[in-house]
Amino acid sequence: MIQQLFRLKIALLVVLSIMLMVQPSLAAIETVAAQNDDVVWTAPGQEKARQRAQQIIPMVDKVKEEGPIRRSQRLHATELSIKDAKNTYFLLDSPFIKAQEDHYGPVRFNHGQHAAASGDCSICHHLRPADNSSYIGDSNHPETVRCSACHQQAFHPDYPERLGLKAAYHQSCTPCHQQQNKGPVTCSGCHLNKVPEHKQLVKLPEKPDALQVTAECLRCHEDEANDMLHTAHWQWRGPSGHTQDHSREIRHGKGTTALNNY
Amino acid sequence: MQLKRRSFFKLAAVGAATAISTPRSALAWQSKAPADAFGCLMDISRCIGCRKCEQACNAVNELPLPVRPFDDLSVFDEKRRPDATKFTVVNRYHSGRVDDDKGLPVADFVKIQCMHCQDPACVSACITGAMSKKSNGAVHYDADKCIGCRYCMVACPFEIPAYEYHNPLTPKVMKCTLCETLLSEQNKPPACATICPTEAITFGKRSTLLKLAKKRLHDNPGRYVDHVYGEKEVGGTSWLYLSNVPFAKLGFLKLPLKPLPRLPETLQHSLFSYLWSPALLFTLLGGVMYRNHKQQTLQHPEQPGDVS
Ligand code: SF4
Ligand code: SF4
Ligand code: SF4
Repeated sequence: MIQQLFRLKIALLVVLSIMLMVQPSLAAIETVAAQNDDVVWTAPGQEKARQRAQQIIPMVDKVKEEGPIRRSQRLHATELSIKDAKNTYFLLDSPFIKAQEDHYGPVRFNHGQHAAASGDCSICHHLRPADNSSYIGDSNHPETVRCSACHQQAFHPDYPERLGLKAAYHQSCTPCHQQQNKGPVTCSGCHLNKVPEHKQLVKLPEKPDALQVTAECLRCHEDEANDMLHTAHWQWRGPSGHTQDHSREIRHGKGTTALNNY
Repeated sequence: MQLKRRSFFKLAAVGAATAISTPRSALAWQSKAPADAFGCLMDISRCIGCRKCEQACNAVNELPLPVRPFDDLSVFDEKRRPDATKFTVVNRYHSGRVDDDKGLPVADFVKIQCMHCQDPACVSACITGAMSKKSNGAVHYDADKCIGCRYCMVACPFEIPAYEYHNPLTPKVMKCTLCETLLSEQNKPPACATICPTEAITFGKRSTLLKLAKKRLHDNPGRYVDHVYGEKEVGGTSWLYLSNVPFAKLGFLKLPLKPLPRLPETLQHSLFSYLWSPALLFTLLGGVMYRNHKQQTLQHPEQPGDVS
């Protein structure tokens, strides 16, 4: 009984939070729709992340010289924790990288998830500015300035030993993902390929039915369709060990009786 | 040949006198290495073998697309060389290194291209001046001056210049340009350096890169082999390499530290150091021929049948 009540509470909480999340964006959509018929839905927080990604902050000139162990100890002593992180979700889409090349869409980076999993800020925030003046106003704390406070343009003549932002990302993300056996290690695992504008590409009759839409997708994406046939999304027959509380209940997946099975 | 012993000695004495009187400065070989050259430092320990550099090079130089796409990593199964359709290639080596955690063999990747030597053998071998070393460090090829003799291909110690054998009308020598147009017109680093995701390629002034390489060796004890390949090899190159694996295991040649053009150029220069030295030679030879001819005419007076 208590358990059921508990579940009900959780369910209510979930519904509430979804409503909270959706409502502001619905309001946003309405205002946009009033001016423009082409409504593009974006997740809440996306726009803010996009704006943050565009910011350029002055480059930190000197960093504090200390070994990695000392740094880790000092960071622990400050009692900085994940609760101090202002933002959880980041888009990695810096103008420093875009100025040189523009081959991929932005990378979505979940800062909260990474902070919680590592439990040690000094793994990524491996150095800090030598003094407190150069970061104030941007970051929560001088110990944890953002990557681009030090890593900016590659091959900077005044800081030849400093990695550019792109290399700083790749040199810390990839080896860690490999060592931890967690997270993507291939290019497309993190990078969305730049998707061309589909408005001109898609050709559909006035009121298309579902099959017509799928057929139109398949016109170009035959390989993707074949790939999809081998994934859990298509072959899923339930029950799934990963479906919390329902592991013995769901009997119909895409592979059997689910709707929309074309 | 009626050259008598005595006349031969006379000639030899003149020759010796010429050689002795040639000032020493003309004999001493002078390096023409630019002081302020740009270059690239390739850190093999950072390269992940993604082949993005090959792809960027292909695009910026408008080279034909390869049969196998750039994300096809099976090309690593064999060792490749730069050729007329690719100015740079990345090769995979298994040096016996093993991953500490997983116990699996670890691959190393080496990008090769023209080294843009400081005193290039190809420039020295080129008889028309089609190959030249620019002050910005690039070894530049001028197709308009090239007569297709391919001496540069023979001279290059790294076997880099390739020839467009498939092009019957206007064949060119093909090799990495150090992206000098990007550099001179847009002040941009080479395309391969810009695209590299891990900054395995660092672009900058050669002197800065040398300092940087030594700093990396100093700051990361045990990570690298204590050698900057290209610092001294063949008198120095604009592309420099750092490696975590002995260079000999990665296909790098052990080359002399003296610039290669030194010997042939010293010989040529002592022979042609002054315009008058070939002039003198030809005058002497002319004198010998005239005397021989006179002697022959004396010994064999004209035959009557010759007159018509
Ligand atoms: S590597 Fe070969 S082609 Fe390149 S500059 Fe040196 S000698 Fe010339
Ligand atoms: S410097 Fe330019 S031409 Fe040379 S390998 Fe790199 S991209 Fe190719
Ligand atoms: S782009 Fe960089 S990491 Fe990738 S293969 Fe080339 S040098 Fe190596």
